[in-house]
Amino acid sequence: MNPILEKIFECVEFGKINLAANFPPQMKGQPGADEYTKEALDSGITPSDIMNEALIPAMNKVGQKFTENKIFVPQMLLSAKAMNAAMEHLKPFFKSGEVKRKGTFILGTVFGDLHDIGKNLVGMMVEGAGWEVIDLGIDVKTEKFVETLQQHPNAIVGISALLTTTMVNMEPVIKAIKEMSPATKVIVGGAPLSQEFASSIGADGYGKDPQASIQWLDSVVA
Amino acid sequence: MTFGCKILHPYKLLEMNFIKEILESEKRLAIPIMTHPGIEALGKIVKEAVCSGEIHYEAIKYLVDKYDTFAGTAIMDLTVEAEAFGTKINMPDEEVPSVIGRLVSDLESVEALAVPNLSAGRIPEYIKANKLAAENIKNKPILSGCIGPYSLAGRLYDMSEIMVAIYIDPDTINILLQKCTDFLISYCKALKQTGTAGVIMAEPAAGLLSNEDCMEYSTKYVKQIVDAVQDETFAVILHNCGNTGQCNDAMIQSGANALHFGNKIDMAEVLRVCPENIVVSGNLDPVGIFKQADKEEVAKATNELLNISKGYKNFVISSGCDLPPHVSTENIDAFFDTVKAFNNQ
Repeated sequence: MNPILEKIFECVEFGKINLAANFPPQMKGQPGADEYTKEALDSGITPSDIMNEALIPAMNKVGQKFTENKIFVPQMLLSAKAMNAAMEHLKPFFKSGEVKRKGTFILGTVFGDLHDIGKNLVGMMVEGAGWEVIDLGIDVKTEKFVETLQQHPNAIVGISALLTTTMVNMEPVIKAIKEMSPATKVIVGGAPLSQEFASSIGADGYGKDPQASIQWLDSVVA
Repeated sequence: MTFGCKILHPYKLLEMNFIKEILESEKRLAIPIMTHPGIEALGKIVKEAVCSGEIHYEAIKYLVDKYDTFAGTAIMDLTVEAEAFGTKINMPDEEVPSVIGRLVSDLESVEALAVPNLSAGRIPEYIKANKLAAENIKNKPILSGCIGPYSLAGRLYDMSEIMVAIYIDPDTINILLQKCTDFLISYCKALKQTGTAGVIMAEPAAGLLSNEDCMEYSTKYVKQIVDAVQDETFAVILHNCGNTGQCNDAMIQSGANALHFGNKIDMAEVLRVCPENIVVSGNLDPVGIFKQADKEEVAKATNELLNISKGYKNFVISSGCDLPPHVSTENIDAFFDTVKAFNNQ
Protein backbone atom coordinates (compact mmCIF):
# COMPACT_ATOMS: atom_id res chain seq x y z
CA MET A 1 0.00 0.00 0.00
CA ASN A 2 1.08 3.57 -0.67
CA PRO A 3 2.82 4.92 2.49
CA ILE A 4 0.45 7.91 2.73
CA LEU A 5 -2.58 5.61 2.49
CA GLU A 6 -1.00 3.49 5.20
CA LYS A 7 -0.73 6.59 7.37
CA ILE A 8 -4.39 7.47 6.76
CA PHE A 9 -5.37 3.92 7.62
CA GLU A 10 -3.36 4.08 10.84
CA CYS A 11 -4.80 7.49 11.83
CA VAL A 12 -8.37 6.25 11.37
CA GLU A 13 -7.73 2.97 13.12
CA PHE A 14 -6.27 4.66 16.18
CA GLY A 15 -8.39 7.83 16.15
CA LYS A 16 -5.74 10.42 15.27
CA ILE A 17 -7.90 13.25 13.95
CA ASN A 18 -5.38 15.95 13.09
CA LEU A 19 -2.03 17.44 14.06
CA ALA A 20 -3.50 19.34 17.00
CA ALA A 21 -5.14 16.27 18.53
CA ASN A 22 -3.26 14.95 21.55
CA PHE A 23 -4.79 11.48 21.17
CA PRO A 24 -3.49 8.84 20.86
CA PRO A 25 -0.52 9.71 23.06
CA GLN A 26 1.94 7.71 20.96
CA MET A 27 1.02 9.81 17.88
CA LYS A 28 1.10 13.19 19.62
CA GLY A 29 2.72 15.88 17.48
CA GLN A 30 2.21 13.90 14.28
CA PRO A 31 -0.14 14.75 11.42
CA GLY A 32 -3.57 13.13 11.54
CA ALA A 33 -6.15 11.85 9.07
CA ASP A 34 -6.92 15.46 8.14
CA GLU A 35 -3.38 16.37 7.03
CA TYR A 36 -2.53 13.02 5.47
CA THR A 37 -5.68 13.02 3.32
CA LYS A 38 -4.84 16.47 2.00
CA GLU A 39 -1.28 15.32 1.34
CA ALA A 40 -2.56 12.25 -0.47
CA LEU A 41 -4.79 14.31 -2.77
CA ASP A 42 -1.99 16.82 -3.39
CA SER A 43 0.35 14.00 -4.36
CA GLY A 44 -2.11 12.72 -6.96
CA ILE A 45 -3.66 9.77 -5.16
CA THR A 46 -7.21 9.46 -6.36
CA PRO A 47 -10.12 10.05 -3.96
CA SER A 48 -11.39 6.56 -4.80
CA ASP A 49 -8.13 5.01 -3.68
CA ILE A 50 -8.20 7.00 -0.44
CA MET A 51 -11.74 5.80 0.16
CA ASN A 52 -11.33 2.18 -0.92
CA GLU A 53 -7.78 1.44 0.19
CA ALA A 54 -7.56 3.44 3.41
CA LEU A 55 -10.82 4.70 4.90
CA ILE A 56 -13.18 1.79 4.27
CA PRO A 57 -10.67 -0.92 5.30
CA ALA A 58 -9.66 1.09 8.39
CA MET A 59 -13.26 1.53 9.54
CA ASN A 60 -13.91 -2.11 8.79
CA LYS A 61 -11.04 -3.02 11.10
CA VAL A 62 -12.38 -0.65 13.75
CA GLY A 63 -15.83 -2.25 13.52
CA GLN A 64 -14.32 -5.69 13.76
CA LYS A 65 -12.29 -4.75 16.85
CA PHE A 66 -15.45 -3.31 18.43
CA THR A 67 -17.40 -6.49 17.73
CA GLU A 68 -14.59 -8.51 19.31
CA ASN A 69 -14.54 -6.27 22.44
CA LYS A 70 -10.98 -5.18 21.67
CA ILE A 71 -12.03 -1.54 21.60
CA PHE A 72 -15.04 0.23 23.06
CA VAL A 73 -17.35 3.14 22.29
CA PRO A 74 -14.84 5.98 22.98
CA GLN A 75 -12.17 4.52 20.69
CA MET A 76 -14.76 3.85 18.00
CA LEU A 77 -16.04 7.43 18.16
CA LEU A 78 -12.49 8.79 17.91
CA SER A 79 -11.87 6.65 14.84
CA ALA A 80 -15.11 7.94 13.34
CA LYS A 81 -14.02 11.52 14.02
CA ALA A 82 -10.70 10.86 12.29
CA MET A 83 -12.56 9.40 9.35
CA ASN A 84 -14.85 12.44 9.22
CA ALA A 85 -11.78 14.70 9.09
CA ALA A 86 -10.57 12.77 6.05
CA MET A 87 -14.01 12.74 4.43
CA GLU A 88 -14.20 16.55 4.54
CA HIS A 89 -11.50 16.58 1.85
CA LEU A 90 -13.36 14.02 -0.26
CA LYS A 91 -16.78 15.72 -0.21
CA PRO A 92 -16.22 17.71 -3.44
CA PHE A 93 -15.44 14.46 -5.25
CA PHE A 94 -18.63 12.82 -3.99
CA LYS A 95 -20.62 15.78 -5.26
CA SER A 96 -18.94 15.70 -8.66
CA GLY A 97 -19.53 11.97 -8.93
CA GLU A 98 -15.83 11.18 -9.16
CA VAL A 99 -16.13 8.96 -6.12
CA LYS A 100 -19.09 6.61 -6.02
CA ARG A 101 -20.74 5.59 -2.79
CA LYS A 102 -22.34 2.23 -2.15
CA GLY A 103 -25.72 3.82 -1.64
CA THR A 104 -27.70 6.22 0.51
CA PHE A 105 -28.73 5.46 4.07
CA ILE A 106 -31.44 7.55 5.72
CA LEU A 107 -31.09 7.26 9.48
CA GLY A 108 -33.04 8.58 12.46
CA THR A 109 -34.21 7.88 15.99
CA VAL A 110 -37.92 7.15 15.94
CA PHE A 111 -40.45 9.75 17.08
CA GLY A 112 -40.86 10.06 20.83
CA ASP A 113 -37.28 9.01 21.46
CA LEU A 114 -34.48 11.49 22.15
CA HIS A 115 -31.55 9.07 22.41
CA ASP A 116 -28.81 9.26 19.85
CA ILE A 117 -25.55 7.58 20.85
CA GLY A 118 -26.39 4.28 19.13
CA LYS A 119 -27.71 6.04 16.06
CA ASN A 120 -24.62 8.26 15.91
CA LEU A 121 -22.31 5.28 16.13
CA VAL A 122 -24.13 3.45 13.37
CA GLY A 123 -24.25 6.57 11.19
CA MET A 124 -20.53 7.23 11.49
CA MET A 125 -19.57 3.62 10.92
CA VAL A 126 -21.87 3.25 7.91
CA GLU A 127 -20.47 6.44 6.40
CA GLY A 128 -16.99 5.06 6.96
CA ALA A 129 -18.02 1.93 5.12
CA GLY A 130 -18.63 3.96 2.00
CA TRP A 131 -22.26 4.97 2.25
CA GLU A 132 -23.83 8.39 2.05
CA VAL A 133 -25.61 8.90 5.36
CA ILE A 134 -28.51 11.29 5.78
CA ASP A 135 -28.93 11.67 9.54
CA LEU A 136 -32.37 13.00 10.38
CA GLY A 137 -31.54 13.25 14.08
CA ILE A 138 -33.74 12.28 17.01
CA ASP A 139 -37.52 12.22 17.54
CA VAL A 140 -38.06 11.82 13.77
CA LYS A 141 -41.69 11.78 12.69
CA THR A 142 -43.00 9.30 10.11
CA GLU A 143 -43.61 12.12 7.63
CA LYS A 144 -39.96 13.16 7.79
CA PHE A 145 -38.74 9.65 6.95
CA VAL A 146 -41.21 9.44 4.05
CA GLU A 147 -40.42 12.93 2.74
CA THR A 148 -36.65 12.23 2.80
CA LEU A 149 -37.19 8.91 1.06
CA GLN A 150 -39.15 10.68 -1.69
CA GLN A 151 -36.09 12.87 -2.25
CA HIS A 152 -33.78 9.80 -2.26
CA PRO A 153 -35.97 7.02 -3.66
CA ASN A 154 -33.19 4.43 -3.83
CA ALA A 155 -32.13 4.89 -0.22
CA ILE A 156 -32.26 2.33 2.55
CA VAL A 157 -33.85 3.48 5.80
CA GLY A 158 -32.50 2.87 9.32
CA ILE A 159 -34.60 3.49 12.41
CA SER A 160 -33.25 3.51 15.97
CA ALA A 161 -34.97 3.34 19.38
CA LEU A 162 -33.70 2.95 22.92
CA LEU A 163 -36.96 2.79 24.82
CA THR A 164 -39.49 0.00 25.06
CA THR A 165 -42.23 2.57 24.74
CA THR A 166 -40.80 4.06 21.56
CA MET A 167 -39.67 0.89 19.80
CA VAL A 168 -43.34 0.26 19.03
CA ASN A 169 -43.37 3.55 17.09
CA MET A 170 -41.14 1.91 14.49
CA GLU A 171 -43.96 -0.19 13.10
CA PRO A 172 -46.10 2.69 11.76
CA VAL A 173 -42.99 4.26 10.23
CA ILE A 174 -42.14 1.03 8.41
CA LYS A 175 -45.76 0.66 7.32
CA ALA A 176 -45.82 4.18 5.87
CA ILE A 177 -42.52 3.61 4.06
CA LYS A 178 -43.66 0.29 2.60
CA GLU A 179 -47.00 1.76 1.51
CA MET A 180 -45.23 4.49 -0.39
CA SER A 181 -42.36 2.35 -1.64
CA PRO A 182 -42.76 -1.42 -1.17
CA ALA A 183 -39.26 -2.13 -2.48
CA THR A 184 -37.51 0.09 0.06
CA LYS A 185 -35.50 -1.85 2.60
CA VAL A 186 -35.67 -0.90 6.27
CA ILE A 187 -33.26 -1.87 9.05
CA VAL A 188 -33.95 -1.27 12.74
CA GLY A 189 -31.71 -1.27 15.80
CA GLY A 190 -31.46 -0.26 19.44
CA ALA A 191 -30.77 -1.77 22.85
CA PRO A 192 -34.21 -3.26 23.61
CA LEU A 193 -34.72 -4.74 20.13
CA SER A 194 -34.19 -8.27 18.90
CA GLN A 195 -34.29 -10.06 15.56
CA GLU A 196 -37.71 -11.43 16.51
CA PHE A 197 -39.08 -7.96 17.24
CA ALA A 198 -37.59 -6.56 14.03
CA SER A 199 -39.24 -9.31 11.99
CA SER A 200 -42.56 -8.86 13.78
CA ILE A 201 -42.83 -5.19 12.81
CA GLY A 202 -41.96 -5.78 9.16
CA ALA A 203 -38.33 -4.64 9.17
CA ASP A 204 -36.11 -6.22 6.54
CA GLY A 205 -33.00 -6.11 8.71
CA TYR A 206 -31.91 -5.97 12.35
CA GLY A 207 -28.69 -4.18 13.28
CA LYS A 208 -27.40 -5.82 16.43
CA ASP A 209 -24.36 -3.53 16.37
CA PRO A 210 -22.78 -1.12 13.84
CA GLN A 211 -20.76 -3.84 12.14
CA ALA A 212 -23.82 -6.06 11.72
CA SER A 213 -25.69 -3.10 10.22
CA ILE A 214 -22.90 -2.52 7.70
CA GLN A 215 -22.77 -6.17 6.74
CA TRP A 216 -26.52 -6.19 6.16
CA LEU A 217 -26.43 -2.95 4.13
CA ASP A 218 -23.56 -4.24 2.00
CA SER A 219 -25.45 -7.48 1.40
CA VAL A 220 -28.48 -5.56 0.12
CA VAL A 221 -26.46 -3.79 -2.59
CA ALA A 222 -24.13 -6.70 -3.37
CA MET B 1 -40.51 5.55 67.32
CA THR B 2 -37.86 8.25 67.04
CA PHE B 3 -34.29 8.71 68.11
CA GLY B 4 -33.53 12.41 68.21
CA CYS B 5 -34.99 13.87 65.05
CA LYS B 6 -34.31 10.82 62.89
CA ILE B 7 -37.10 8.34 62.29
CA LEU B 8 -35.98 4.74 62.13
CA HIS B 9 -38.26 2.14 60.65
CA PRO B 10 -38.65 -1.32 62.17
CA TYR B 11 -36.29 -2.99 59.69
CA LYS B 12 -33.48 -0.91 61.13
CA LEU B 13 -34.68 -1.16 64.72
CA LEU B 14 -34.25 -4.90 64.46
CA GLU B 15 -30.68 -4.20 63.35
CA MET B 16 -31.22 -6.15 60.20
CA ASN B 17 -28.37 -6.01 57.78
CA PHE B 18 -29.52 -6.22 54.20
CA ILE B 19 -26.35 -7.80 52.86
CA LYS B 20 -25.90 -10.18 55.79
CA GLU B 21 -29.48 -11.38 55.47
CA ILE B 22 -28.95 -12.22 51.82
CA LEU B 23 -25.68 -14.02 52.40
CA GLU B 24 -27.20 -16.05 55.23
CA SER B 25 -30.49 -16.84 53.53
CA GLU B 26 -31.30 -20.49 53.01
CA LYS B 27 -33.54 -19.74 50.08
CA ARG B 28 -33.00 -17.94 46.78
CA LEU B 29 -34.18 -14.36 47.25
CA ALA B 30 -35.72 -12.29 44.45
CA ILE B 31 -35.62 -8.52 43.94
CA PRO B 32 -36.73 -7.51 40.47
CA ILE B 33 -36.19 -3.80 39.93
CA MET B 34 -39.70 -2.58 39.34
CA THR B 35 -42.00 0.35 39.99
CA HIS B 36 -43.91 0.68 36.72
CA PRO B 37 -46.24 -2.24 37.50
CA GLY B 38 -47.12 -0.48 40.76
CA ILE B 39 -47.70 2.86 39.05
CA GLU B 40 -49.98 1.18 36.52
CA ALA B 41 -51.88 -0.79 39.19
CA LEU B 42 -52.62 2.49 40.96
CA GLY B 43 -54.10 3.89 37.75
CA LYS B 44 -51.40 6.55 37.60
CA ILE B 45 -49.09 7.61 34.80
CA VAL B 46 -45.30 7.71 34.93
CA LYS B 47 -45.25 11.50 34.87
CA GLU B 48 -47.32 11.65 38.05
CA ALA B 49 -45.09 9.14 39.84
CA VAL B 50 -41.81 10.86 38.96
CA CYS B 51 -43.18 14.19 40.14
CA SER B 52 -44.94 13.12 43.32
CA GLY B 53 -43.25 11.51 46.31
CA GLU B 54 -46.61 10.21 47.53
CA ILE B 55 -47.52 8.40 44.30
CA HIS B 56 -43.96 7.09 43.97
CA TYR B 57 -44.20 5.67 47.50
CA GLU B 58 -47.67 4.18 46.88
CA ALA B 59 -46.29 2.34 43.83
CA ILE B 60 -43.43 0.86 45.88
CA LYS B 61 -45.82 -0.14 48.64
CA TYR B 62 -48.26 -1.77 46.24
CA LEU B 63 -45.53 -4.00 44.84
CA VAL B 64 -43.94 -5.03 48.15
CA ASP B 65 -47.39 -5.89 49.48
CA LYS B 66 -48.38 -7.86 46.38
CA TYR B 67 -45.21 -9.78 45.57
CA ASP B 68 -42.72 -11.92 47.44
CA THR B 69 -39.88 -9.57 46.63
CA PHE B 70 -37.18 -9.40 49.29
CA ALA B 71 -36.97 -5.61 48.96
CA GLY B 72 -38.87 -2.71 47.47
CA THR B 73 -37.11 -0.58 44.86
CA ALA B 74 -37.49 3.10 44.02
CA ILE B 75 -38.02 4.41 40.49
CA MET B 76 -34.94 4.17 38.29
CA ASP B 77 -35.14 7.70 36.94
CA LEU B 78 -31.82 8.72 35.44
CA THR B 79 -32.77 12.36 35.00
CA VAL B 80 -33.61 13.57 38.49
CA GLU B 81 -30.00 14.37 39.41
CA ALA B 82 -29.22 15.96 36.01
CA GLU B 83 -32.35 18.09 36.36
CA ALA B 84 -31.11 19.25 39.78
CA PHE B 85 -27.96 20.51 38.03
CA GLY B 86 -30.16 22.49 35.63
CA THR B 87 -30.52 20.23 32.59
CA LYS B 88 -33.75 20.53 30.60
CA ILE B 89 -35.96 17.48 30.84
CA ASN B 90 -38.48 15.97 28.47
CA MET B 91 -41.26 14.43 30.51
CA PRO B 92 -43.73 12.30 28.55
CA ASP B 93 -46.80 10.89 30.29
CA GLU B 94 -45.99 7.20 29.98
CA GLU B 95 -42.21 7.00 29.95
CA VAL B 96 -39.43 7.96 32.34
CA PRO B 97 -38.11 11.43 31.56
CA SER B 98 -35.08 12.03 29.36
CA VAL B 99 -32.49 14.78 29.17
CA ILE B 100 -32.64 17.39 26.40
CA GLY B 101 -29.44 18.95 25.08
CA ARG B 102 -26.27 19.52 27.05
CA LEU B 103 -25.59 21.72 30.04
CA VAL B 104 -21.79 21.97 29.80
CA SER B 105 -19.39 21.70 26.89
CA ASP B 106 -15.92 22.89 27.92
CA LEU B 107 -13.64 23.72 30.82
CA GLU B 108 -15.17 27.15 31.36
CA SER B 109 -18.74 25.88 31.60
CA VAL B 110 -17.71 22.91 33.74
CA GLU B 111 -15.82 25.17 36.16
CA ALA B 112 -18.82 27.50 36.36
CA LEU B 113 -21.21 24.65 37.06
CA ALA B 114 -22.56 24.81 40.60
CA VAL B 115 -23.15 21.66 42.63
CA PRO B 116 -26.87 21.91 43.44
CA ASN B 117 -28.37 21.54 46.88
CA LEU B 118 -31.01 18.97 47.72
CA SER B 119 -33.91 21.36 47.22
CA ALA B 120 -33.30 21.49 43.45
CA GLY B 121 -35.73 20.06 40.91
CA ARG B 122 -37.56 16.89 41.90
CA ILE B 123 -34.96 15.79 44.46
CA PRO B 124 -37.24 16.67 47.42
CA GLU B 125 -40.02 14.49 45.96
CA TYR B 126 -37.63 11.56 45.58
CA ILE B 127 -36.40 11.95 49.16
CA LYS B 128 -40.02 12.15 50.29
CA ALA B 129 -40.90 8.91 48.46
CA ASN B 130 -37.99 7.09 50.09
CA LYS B 131 -38.86 8.49 53.53
CA LEU B 132 -42.49 7.44 53.23
CA ALA B 133 -41.48 3.98 52.07
CA ALA B 134 -38.89 3.50 54.81
CA GLU B 135 -41.31 4.68 57.49
CA ASN B 136 -44.43 2.88 56.37
CA ILE B 137 -43.25 -0.39 54.87
CA LYS B 138 -42.60 -2.34 58.01
CA ASN B 139 -41.65 -5.79 56.86
CA LYS B 140 -39.22 -5.35 53.99
CA PRO B 141 -36.12 -3.30 53.26
CA ILE B 142 -36.42 -0.49 50.75
CA LEU B 143 -33.71 0.27 48.22
CA SER B 144 -33.34 3.86 47.10
CA GLY B 145 -32.09 4.71 43.63
CA CYS B 146 -29.61 7.15 42.16
CA ILE B 147 -27.54 7.55 39.03
CA GLY B 148 -23.81 6.80 38.93
CA PRO B 149 -21.22 9.59 38.48
CA TYR B 150 -20.15 8.81 34.91
CA SER B 151 -23.73 8.36 33.70
CA LEU B 152 -24.66 11.68 35.34
CA ALA B 153 -21.67 13.46 33.82
CA GLY B 154 -22.69 12.06 30.41
CA ARG B 155 -26.14 13.56 30.79
CA LEU B 156 -24.65 16.96 31.58
CA TYR B 157 -21.91 16.92 28.90
CA ASP B 158 -23.68 14.87 26.18
CA MET B 159 -23.20 11.14 26.15
CA SER B 160 -21.43 10.90 22.78
CA GLU B 161 -19.19 13.86 23.55
CA ILE B 162 -18.06 12.63 26.96
CA MET B 163 -16.98 9.35 25.41
CA VAL B 164 -14.50 11.25 23.24
CA ALA B 165 -13.67 13.90 25.85
CA ILE B 166 -12.25 11.38 28.32
CA TYR B 167 -9.42 11.03 25.79
CA ILE B 168 -9.06 14.52 24.38
CA ASP B 169 -9.93 16.60 27.46
CA PRO B 170 -9.67 14.33 30.50
CA ASP B 171 -8.91 17.14 32.97
CA THR B 172 -12.24 18.83 32.25
CA ILE B 173 -14.12 15.56 32.59
CA ASN B 174 -12.43 14.81 35.90
CA ILE B 175 -13.56 18.20 37.24
CA LEU B 176 -17.10 17.44 36.08
CA LEU B 177 -17.01 13.95 37.57
CA GLN B 178 -15.91 15.32 40.93
CA LYS B 179 -18.82 17.77 40.94
CA CYS B 180 -21.22 14.96 40.09
CA THR B 181 -19.70 12.82 42.84
CA ASP B 182 -19.96 15.60 45.43
CA PHE B 183 -23.64 15.95 44.63
CA LEU B 184 -24.26 12.20 44.69
CA ILE B 185 -22.55 11.88 48.08
CA SER B 186 -24.84 14.52 49.49
CA TYR B 187 -27.91 12.92 47.83
CA CYS B 188 -27.03 9.40 49.01
CA LYS B 189 -26.49 10.68 52.56
CA ALA B 190 -29.99 12.16 52.44
CA LEU B 191 -31.41 8.89 51.10
CA LYS B 192 -29.63 7.01 53.87
CA GLN B 193 -31.16 9.37 56.41
CA THR B 194 -34.63 8.37 55.24
CA GLY B 195 -34.02 4.90 56.66
CA THR B 196 -33.76 2.88 53.47
CA ALA B 197 -31.51 -0.17 53.47
CA GLY B 198 -29.34 0.87 50.55
CA VAL B 199 -29.17 2.53 47.19
CA ILE B 200 -29.14 1.01 43.72
CA MET B 201 -26.68 3.19 41.83
CA ALA B 202 -27.30 2.96 38.08
CA GLU B 203 -24.10 3.44 36.11
CA PRO B 204 -24.93 1.98 32.66
CA ALA B 205 -22.86 4.43 30.61
CA ALA B 206 -19.68 3.15 32.27
CA GLY B 207 -20.44 -0.20 30.68
CA LEU B 208 -19.56 1.31 27.31
CA LEU B 209 -15.96 1.77 28.46
CA SER B 210 -13.00 -0.56 28.70
CA ASN B 211 -12.19 -1.88 32.18
CA GLU B 212 -9.30 0.60 32.48
CA ASP B 213 -11.46 3.58 31.51
CA CYS B 214 -14.27 2.33 33.73
CA MET B 215 -11.80 2.26 36.64
CA GLU B 216 -10.54 5.76 35.87
CA TYR B 217 -13.81 7.52 35.05
CA SER B 218 -16.36 5.60 37.07
CA THR B 219 -15.01 3.28 39.76
CA LYS B 220 -12.69 5.93 41.24
CA TYR B 221 -15.71 8.16 41.83
CA VAL B 222 -18.18 5.43 42.78
CA LYS B 223 -15.70 4.42 45.48
CA GLN B 224 -15.84 7.90 46.98
CA ILE B 225 -19.60 7.54 47.33
CA VAL B 226 -19.28 4.01 48.72
CA ASP B 227 -16.74 5.21 51.28
CA ALA B 228 -19.03 8.08 52.29
CA VAL B 229 -22.29 6.17 52.80
CA GLN B 230 -21.84 2.42 52.90
CA ASP B 231 -21.87 0.67 56.27
CA GLU B 232 -23.67 -2.20 57.99
CA THR B 233 -26.98 -0.37 57.82
CA PHE B 234 -26.74 0.93 54.26
CA ALA B 235 -25.60 -0.95 51.18
CA VAL B 236 -24.51 0.38 47.82
CA ILE B 237 -25.76 -1.83 44.98
CA LEU B 238 -23.82 -0.87 41.86
CA HIS B 239 -25.89 -1.51 38.75
CA ASN B 240 -24.20 -1.55 35.36
CA CYS B 241 -26.34 -3.06 32.62
CA GLY B 242 -24.02 -1.74 29.90
CA ASN B 243 -21.19 -4.03 31.02
CA THR B 244 -20.92 -7.05 28.78
CA GLY B 245 -18.17 -8.62 30.89
CA GLN B 246 -15.20 -6.38 30.26
CA CYS B 247 -15.89 -4.18 33.30
CA ASN B 248 -16.38 -6.88 35.94
CA ASP B 249 -13.15 -6.11 37.73
CA ALA B 250 -13.84 -2.37 37.75
CA MET B 251 -17.24 -3.04 39.30
CA ILE B 252 -15.72 -5.29 41.98
CA GLN B 253 -13.05 -2.69 42.77
CA SER B 254 -15.74 -0.08 43.56
CA GLY B 255 -16.10 -1.52 47.05
CA ALA B 256 -19.89 -1.71 46.68
CA ASN B 257 -21.12 -4.66 48.67
CA ALA B 258 -23.62 -5.65 46.00
CA LEU B 259 -23.31 -5.66 42.20
CA HIS B 260 -26.25 -5.77 39.82
CA PHE B 261 -25.79 -6.90 36.21
CA GLY B 262 -27.73 -6.54 32.97
CA ASN B 263 -29.02 -9.23 30.66
CA LYS B 264 -26.11 -8.95 28.22
CA ILE B 265 -23.72 -10.61 30.64
CA ASP B 266 -22.91 -14.26 31.28
CA MET B 267 -24.11 -14.63 34.87
CA ALA B 268 -22.28 -17.93 35.39
CA GLU B 269 -19.00 -16.17 34.62
CA VAL B 270 -19.88 -13.22 36.87
CA LEU B 271 -20.65 -15.56 39.77
CA ARG B 272 -17.37 -17.32 39.18
CA VAL B 273 -15.26 -14.15 39.32
CA CYS B 274 -17.06 -12.20 42.06
CA PRO B 275 -15.90 -12.75 45.66
CA GLU B 276 -18.38 -14.63 47.87
CA ASN B 277 -18.83 -11.68 50.22
CA ILE B 278 -20.21 -9.50 47.42
CA VAL B 279 -23.88 -9.93 46.64
CA VAL B 280 -24.39 -10.56 42.92
CA SER B 281 -27.73 -9.87 41.29
CA GLY B 282 -29.38 -9.96 37.90
CA ASN B 283 -30.12 -10.50 35.07
CA LEU B 284 -33.34 -11.64 33.32
CA ASP B 285 -34.00 -9.58 30.20
CA PRO B 286 -36.53 -6.90 31.24
CA VAL B 287 -37.71 -6.42 27.65
CA GLY B 288 -37.17 -9.69 25.80
CA ILE B 289 -38.39 -11.84 28.70
CA PHE B 290 -40.51 -9.83 31.14
CA LYS B 291 -42.22 -7.61 28.58
CA GLN B 292 -42.27 -9.50 25.32
CA ALA B 293 -42.23 -13.18 26.23
CA ASP B 294 -45.18 -15.22 27.46
CA LYS B 295 -45.46 -16.65 30.96
CA GLU B 296 -44.07 -20.04 29.94
CA GLU B 297 -40.95 -18.39 28.53
CA VAL B 298 -40.59 -16.27 31.68
CA ALA B 299 -40.77 -19.41 33.82
CA LYS B 300 -38.24 -21.18 31.59
CA ALA B 301 -35.74 -18.31 31.66
CA THR B 302 -36.17 -17.89 35.42
CA ASN B 303 -35.59 -21.59 35.98
CA GLU B 304 -32.49 -21.56 33.82
CA LEU B 305 -31.00 -18.68 35.81
CA LEU B 306 -31.91 -20.30 39.11
CA ASN B 307 -30.11 -23.45 38.04
CA ILE B 308 -27.06 -21.60 36.75
CA SER B 309 -26.75 -19.82 40.11
CA LYS B 310 -27.34 -22.89 42.26
CA GLY B 311 -24.68 -23.17 44.91
CA TYR B 312 -23.93 -19.44 45.06
CA LYS B 313 -25.29 -18.10 48.34
CA ASN B 314 -24.46 -14.55 47.30
CA PHE B 315 -26.88 -14.50 44.37
CA VAL B 316 -30.19 -12.63 44.25
CA ILE B 317 -32.33 -13.25 41.20
CA SER B 318 -33.52 -10.06 39.53
CA SER B 319 -34.31 -8.35 36.28
CA GLY B 320 -31.30 -7.10 34.32
CA CYS B 321 -32.59 -3.54 34.59
CA ASP B 322 -35.82 -1.93 35.74
CA LEU B 323 -38.96 -3.42 34.26
CA PRO B 324 -40.31 -1.16 31.52
CA PRO B 325 -43.90 0.07 31.47
CA HIS B 326 -46.67 -2.36 30.55
CA VAL B 327 -45.17 -5.66 31.69
CA SER B 328 -48.04 -8.08 32.25
CA THR B 329 -49.00 -9.19 35.74
CA GLU B 330 -49.04 -12.73 34.36
CA ASN B 331 -45.33 -12.55 33.58
CA ILE B 332 -44.40 -11.08 36.96
CA ASP B 333 -46.45 -13.81 38.63
CA ALA B 334 -44.68 -16.43 36.52
CA PHE B 335 -41.32 -15.10 37.75
CA PHE B 336 -42.26 -15.22 41.42
CA ASP B 337 -44.06 -18.56 41.11
CA THR B 338 -40.96 -20.10 39.55
CA VAL B 339 -38.70 -18.77 42.31
CA LYS B 340 -41.14 -20.08 44.92
CA ALA B 341 -41.28 -23.53 43.32
CA PHE B 342 -37.47 -23.60 43.15
CA ASN B 343 -37.22 -22.76 46.85
CA ASN B 344 -39.77 -25.45 47.73
CA GLN B 345 -37.83 -28.19 45.96
